[in-house]
Amino acid sequence: MSVIEINHITKDYGKGRGVFDVSFSVEKGEVLGFLGPNGAGKTTTIRQLMGFIKPDSGSVSILGMDCFDRADEIEKSLGYLPGEIAFIDSMDGMEFIRFVAKMKKMKDLGRARELMDMFELEPSGKLKKMSKGMKQKIGIVCAFMQDAEILILDEPSSGLDPLMQNRFVELVLSEKKRGKTILMSSHMFEEIERTCDRAAIIRNGKLVAVEEIERLKEGRQKIVEVTFGTAEMARLFARQIQETSRGEVSLREGDRTVTARVSKNMDGFVKKAAQFTVTDLEVRPQSLEEFFMHFYGEGSK
Amino acid sequence: MNTTLFKKEMKSNWVLLIIFMAVLSMYAVMIVMMFDPKMGDSLRMMAESMPQIFAAFGMLNVGVTLLDFVSSYLYGMLFIAFPAVYIIILANRLVVKYVDNGSMAYLLAVPEKRRKIVTTQGIFLVASLAVMVLYITCLILGTEQILFPGELDTAAFIRVNVGLLGLLVFLAGVCFCASCLFNESKTSTGIGTAVVVYAVLVQMISRVGDKFDYLKYATPLTLFDVDGLSAGDGKAWLMCSVLYAVGIMLMLVGIGRFSRRNLPL
Repeated sequence: MSVIEINHITKDYGKGRGVFDVSFSVEKGEVLGFLGPNGAGKTTTIRQLMGFIKPDSGSVSILGMDCFDRADEIEKSLGYLPGEIAFIDSMDGMEFIRFVAKMKKMKDLGRARELMDMFELEPSGKLKKMSKGMKQKIGIVCAFMQDAEILILDEPSSGLDPLMQNRFVELVLSEKKRGKTILMSSHMFEEIERTCDRAAIIRNGKLVAVEEIERLKEGRQKIVEVTFGTAEMARLFARQIQETSRGEVSLREGDRTVTARVSKNMDGFVKKAAQFTVTDLEVRPQSLEEFFMHFYGEGSK
Repeated sequence: MNTTLFKKEMKSNWVLLIIFMAVLSMYAVMIVMMFDPKMGDSLRMMAESMPQIFAAFGMLNVGVTLLDFVSSYLYGMLFIAFPAVYIIILANRLVVKYVDNGSMAYLLAVPEKRRKIVTTQGIFLVASLAVMVLYITCLILGTEQILFPGELDTAAFIRVNVGLLGLLVFLAGVCFCASCLFNESKTSTGIGTAVVVYAVLVQMISRVGDKFDYLKYATPLTLFDVDGLSAGDGKAWLMCSVLYAVGIMLMLVGIGRFSRRNLPL
């Protein structure tokens, strides 16, 4: 039996917003990435898992229990990080962490202190005055401190600086080793790529695919911009790439910079470029949007 | 009931309660001090000079006994309107504010039924009103003991306060129910305020003259019959129990709806 099961849920908010006939499941001990652009329906799906809203049709269950009717039972083994962090403003950070711990019926704050150290969080001071990053850290502490066996995290690393994003990835990986089942949403491919086994991809409220991360990585292209010594070199190089690898190349007339999308044939690409004088080279990963276009074709837009 | 949440609400709202109790104390002590069995005549003359204005505020038969004096000056308007404002503010804070700003997600992401969470909030609201009424009852009785010992019919005065609590429970029911039903603070506060203002205004108009007397059937405040309660009248008790019953029923409706509805969290 899957830990989290989503069966053909539809929640229609009108004007094409909501989720439509979405089904997927998360197995025990798995980290599943829930990937999609903003407004795709990730949070709507998670709200149904949390029992805040009921699906119009279909069913959602965690540990075999209906997410709306038995939310209280499910919560015993669930840690949750909301996508839009909203705390009780009048409290200070530590007060809030203590309050949530008590509401969760936790016995001690040992784990919370470990997490605060890990994220270099000093949670004194009013929540109202805290920066986005500070609030996010408090949210993370509240989600993980209970040491729950299931974690539902909505855009967990938003607002964190790169260093803290790395810490977060480490945290997820160590929790995974300890056998936790994790569902985390994101609109950033990198984060999912580093932590997850599989990814469910959602777009305009519809589930596009559930894929192994390895497959997604293979299908993912890099965008490479090479600047050559002369415009002539750039023209020759662009022609070669076009002929040999049917790669998508663009070059403006008289320009020295060639932009190409490269996936598996990076070796050939670099060696061809090396025949010429390369004055600059820039490689960037595809954005999620570009990735969708490529992986599922224009038609899936 | 969830004690952690109850304690949190106590911590967050005691200042509000203290402020309102301070305002009520000021009026209570002032009015009791103003009572003077001999001075009653001059006040009555003032009341006779502008009977309609005095009547609108429920200050019609003033000054015979301390009980009449207190119940018409305080229980006619002040002790209804001020606590009503308190109720509107607190009912808003206890439920809809959490939904509106999203922090309800944290209150619900706990191993506890929604019903229990929101019931805790309802109990807190009623409990704080009970504290308020108990406090002003004791305060007035205390002031009377010091200034005019033996002047106040204690049993009758306590009956009036039981009635007042009934009226406040009713208003709390209205505001709390609205707080449970809506997603936005401004909608819920608007409804609560509209009901209170309507009830108070209609009562004021109904008291002004015989022409509008029938309007008393159009406001729930009529169910709080101060004179009837102080006389220990059966009909007054019946109306008072209607206030308690409807107030609690409205709260239960709110709790029930809140437990089953979709929340924008």
